[in-house]
Amino acid sequence: MSIAGLASLIIGILWLGGGTLWLLTRRRYRLAQIPNFAMDLLGFPVELAQSLFGRSGVPYALLLPNMLIFGFFTFAPMILNFYVSFTGGSSISLFDRPWVGGANYSAIFQCESYFDPRTCSNEGFSFWRGMANTLMFVAIQVPVLCAAALATALVVNKNLVGRGFWRAMFFYPVMLSPVVIANIWNWVLHRKGILNETLGDATGVMTALSGMAGFDMVATILFAILLFVASERTLRAAADPSLAWAGLFALLFVAVFTWASPLRMVGFQALPSLWLGLALGAGLVWLVSTAHPAARWVVMGFTAVAMALLLTIQFDAVFSFERFRPVNWLVTPNTGWPFFWLIFVFTWSHMGFYMLILLAGLQAIPSDLYEAAKMDATKPARAFYRITLPLVMPTLVVVLVLSLIRSFQIFDEVWLLTGGGPGRETFMIVQHIYETAFTGDRPAYGSAAAGSVLMAVVIAVFTFFQLFITRRQSGL
Amino acid sequence: MTAHALELKHIRKSWGAVQVIHGIDLQIEEGEFVVFVGPSGCGKSTLLRLIAGLDDPSSGDILLQDRRVNSVPASERGLSMVFQSYALYPHMTVRQNLSFGLENLRMAKEEIDRRVDDAATLLQIEMLLARRPGQLSGGQRQRVAIGRAIVREPQIFLFDEPLSNLDAELRLQMRVEIANLHAQLGNTMIYVTHDQVEAMTMANRIVVLRAGKIEQVGKPLELYNRPCNKFVAGFLGAPQMNFLSGNLAPDGTLTMDCGLKMPVRLGETLSAAEKCTLGLRPETIGVSLEGAGDMTVKVQNFEQLGAVTYIYTVFANGETLTVQLAQQIPLRRGQDIGVTFDPTRFHIFAGEGERALLLHGRADA
Amino acid sequence: MGLATFLTRTKGNPDKADRIGAADLLAYGYLALGVLLILVPVLWTFLSSVKNERAVSSFDTRLLPMSQVERLIEGEGLKTTWIYTDAAGNTQEVFKAGPTRVETDVAAIDDPANVFKVPRTQLEPNEEIRIATENYLDPILGRNGQTNFTFFTYLFNSVFVTVVATLITLLINAMAAFALSKYQFRGRLTFTILIVATLLIPSSIILVSLFFVVWSFGIFGSLWGVIIPAAATPTGVFLLRQYMLTIPDELLEAARMDAASEWRIFWRIVLPLSLPALSVLAILSVIWRWNDFLWPLIVLISDPSAHTLQIGLTTFSGEFDSQFHYILAMTVVSLIPITLVFVWLQRFITTGIATTGLK
Repeated sequence: MSIAGLASLIIGILWLGGGTLWLLTRRRYRLAQIPNFAMDLLGFPVELAQSLFGRSGVPYALLLPNMLIFGFFTFAPMILNFYVSFTGGSSISLFDRPWVGGANYSAIFQCESYFDPRTCSNEGFSFWRGMANTLMFVAIQVPVLCAAALATALVVNKNLVGRGFWRAMFFYPVMLSPVVIANIWNWVLHRKGILNETLGDATGVMTALSGMAGFDMVATILFAILLFVASERTLRAAADPSLAWAGLFALLFVAVFTWASPLRMVGFQALPSLWLGLALGAGLVWLVSTAHPAARWVVMGFTAVAMALLLTIQFDAVFSFERFRPVNWLVTPNTGWPFFWLIFVFTWSHMGFYMLILLAGLQAIPSDLYEAAKMDATKPARAFYRITLPLVMPTLVVVLVLSLIRSFQIFDEVWLLTGGGPGRETFMIVQHIYETAFTGDRPAYGSAAAGSVLMAVVIAVFTFFQLFITRRQSGL
Repeated sequence: MTAHALELKHIRKSWGAVQVIHGIDLQIEEGEFVVFVGPSGCGKSTLLRLIAGLDDPSSGDILLQDRRVNSVPASERGLSMVFQSYALYPHMTVRQNLSFGLENLRMAKEEIDRRVDDAATLLQIEMLLARRPGQLSGGQRQRVAIGRAIVREPQIFLFDEPLSNLDAELRLQMRVEIANLHAQLGNTMIYVTHDQVEAMTMANRIVVLRAGKIEQVGKPLELYNRPCNKFVAGFLGAPQMNFLSGNLAPDGTLTMDCGLKMPVRLGETLSAAEKCTLGLRPETIGVSLEGAGDMTVKVQNFEQLGAVTYIYTVFANGETLTVQLAQQIPLRRGQDIGVTFDPTRFHIFAGEGERALLLHGRADA
Repeated sequence: MGLATFLTRTKGNPDKADRIGAADLLAYGYLALGVLLILVPVLWTFLSSVKNERAVSSFDTRLLPMSQVERLIEGEGLKTTWIYTDAAGNTQEVFKAGPTRVETDVAAIDDPANVFKVPRTQLEPNEEIRIATENYLDPILGRNGQTNFTFFTYLFNSVFVTVVATLITLLINAMAAFALSKYQFRGRLTFTILIVATLLIPSSIILVSLFFVVWSFGIFGSLWGVIIPAAATPTGVFLLRQYMLTIPDELLEAARMDAASEWRIFWRIVLPLSLPALSVLAILSVIWRWNDFLWPLIVLISDPSAHTLQIGLTTFSGEFDSQFHYILAMTVVSLIPITLVFVWLQRFITTGIATTGLK
């Protein structure tokens, strides 16, 4: 029997036997009070503390179990991590581990060039590659996750039909386990999976459609009508243009702009047009949201430009794609797709949780503030910037910190979806620690511990940096 | 000599560096209804919590029936307490609320049922026993809270501002009920309030507290008629006693800043002329509409309540005077009226009001 | 009143008719898109999991679980059947009597002896809708050589870990929260700060040394090695502490006057009153423990009889790389309990977490 087993046996006997004796000598229980007795027995150490030290002893007895577990399984490992990182070998007995000083650290830092992980030692390469990937992942993931969570929280906080249903639906993926999530997405993203199939079908349908006689005309006219309706609705209100319609209009404008690709005339490819279009659209929305006096004229100008562009393309050949080639989403190297899907799946599975936290923050904003704003004829966008955003900022900071710490620790999804591949494109730092310590024939606990310590330093720096930047909002 | 129901000896209490109770000595006899009254922050609730055993005094002794109970836990002092917020357990029914304490004392089930039913009958809450506190009105919760105190059959009841959460009408009703309850049960009761009306109407004895010290202890009318200082005089009675500042010569001539000059019969000798404060109860002042009287004042405002009339007036030097008349008279703002004073009902306080001076020939009601 | 107004108004009273504006349209569009993104992969996995092996391995993308009809032919055994359409448009149910060529030998199922040649292009698989229950039953019951997924062992382990860990978490976190919220004692601030610190220590940076600690406690490889280290959660302590701060102190004092011991106050007054926060923590703890992956992977991987559902499913997915129909079915199986919990408690979960303010 292990030491822990023996200890728990002794404690158990003392607790149950001693407690029963102690209680029965002091209190009488009727047969119907057996549940009472059971609960008193459960709290026997607390009762004992109260009778020995009075009420002042009770909080310590109450804290004891929790702090014991924290002590042994959180704080002790924290300290132990430093010790282990200075030892070598593969022994799991702490006393058999030879002291190697800073060898584990120097192995990680043994690089010819600090700008290229490939010039490092094996440990160094693995660590820095993992760190670089993780930092990139965090840098993309945290803003994406927070933006998605905030947007969703704002939408489900509106007074919509079936509010409870929407909220619940967005939370559902949070409850799924990483293995299930990975299996689901592996299945969907398989080379012959439903996504490729759907994309192929869609391409086929679009190409077939655009081949039909008169399609160009009909599509152009329909789109022109849509654009006109959106711009008319934007400008309909007597005072300032409506933001929501302006948003719709901007989306349509971006679509036309991208398709027409005016930049192609000066020798660019299609992609820069998309970015320019997005920038213009965002600028339009910003102008409208701040109720800029020129907004009205800009909307009219954009409508004219969009019409002109529409006439130049008339949807000519826009929908004739190449035959769609199925992509092996999670496996093809140097495409960025594995990384993209990692971020997508992570957002998919974690967004609901942060959404709920933000929702709590949004609901804590008293509704009379908005009523007062309405009485002051505040525009919705202004209300968002001046009331919602400042008041939800403390919650947003919490979400930022939580999602930062969570994203840094990404392992399950990567390991199960891509296994760190292709090559090491999605190899994350926790996978480095896990594989160094637990998967090899000669587990390098020391090296893994050194990696953990360095990772802790990076996380701490980031967290404090983030809190420092947002200190005014968070009130910390 | 029989034991005191409760005796406090040199009680002091500090929270960290802040001392809130500055040495209190008090004896309470069996069957008394004692009210601790004072402005908020005077330490009256703290004192009650010290008696209850919820907090421990920093120094001094608490004796129940001559037994020192400083280290006896709250539950074993044989007291029960009605809290300001009633502190009814929201997740238990009224019956469970009443019986919870008795169960903790390992009382037999039949005895618990008997006591709960008796208390429910006494307080007329039998039909509420199966409900939860959330389903009760304010007055009903108040009764349940009192019921929870009653079932313990304590030596002393402690009430911590129990009526402050009720509306005016209900407060009046509960005031009468608690007084009746005291008459019926005959237990010692200690009642904390900041409302001087509650104190005056319910108490056998009032303890006026200020800033952690006892200002005066006595029967309600004793305190009303012979306040020992300006604070007690001002605290009891509504509308408040009028205070006018002036000088008192050793021969008993009162010279007030407002111009009033009057002789009084001093019960003590003064070595020299001294600053003093004159206290005048609003109901002791007479009014003549023709302007005749000891002084003339200008009417600033008035309230006609039918049975009584309150007239808020001002002297030429800016000091205010409130007059209470038990009759209806025609008044208008800005009017000058004459007021007459009755020297036999004066209160004179030395200096700024630290101490009441002795007067001869007082006509106490 | 114009037709458009009539069609788009959302309330009966025409004076107050609140028309669906562009903002609402955008909102509903966003929500619909989001829900599609969430539901379609899950539903697609479910639909695929009830397709038979052949449909899964050939990536049949039809919604319904179609499978080719097999019939027992006298003298030929079990044969898949095809529909042959002749030049006149008549159809006939046949089976292939030889290898598939341009001209394939087939025979009618009711006349197996009479073999005739037909062009391959005239043959259509004879399909019916059939739920492939064997995807589920084979691994669960250990049939057809599928003995590597000991479902009931995994299920028991997962349920054991989840239930025991949640109970322990609730109890000790509530005790700690009670102490921190309702008592003035020396060291209160220190303990609070210690717990905040734990909140900021990511579990993955102590993996290696936690492994050493758990090893020296002798609980490595057992379920207790998963349960105990994660039982004390800083989130739980904070959530409960924040909630317990709202319980009036007077209630505890009333209970003290009622001669209740401190433990009984905790049990009879504080716990029942913290029920909303406790249930939120219970739900969170169930989600955490049920879905826990990395730590169980380290602690339990060596002993298949101690695998939880998640670890079992992982190793199973690893071993049967090509047998997607079993993997999908087992994925759905391990998704079902948490989905049921979700459907049952969804309103409560979302409002609970949102209102308790997980901060």
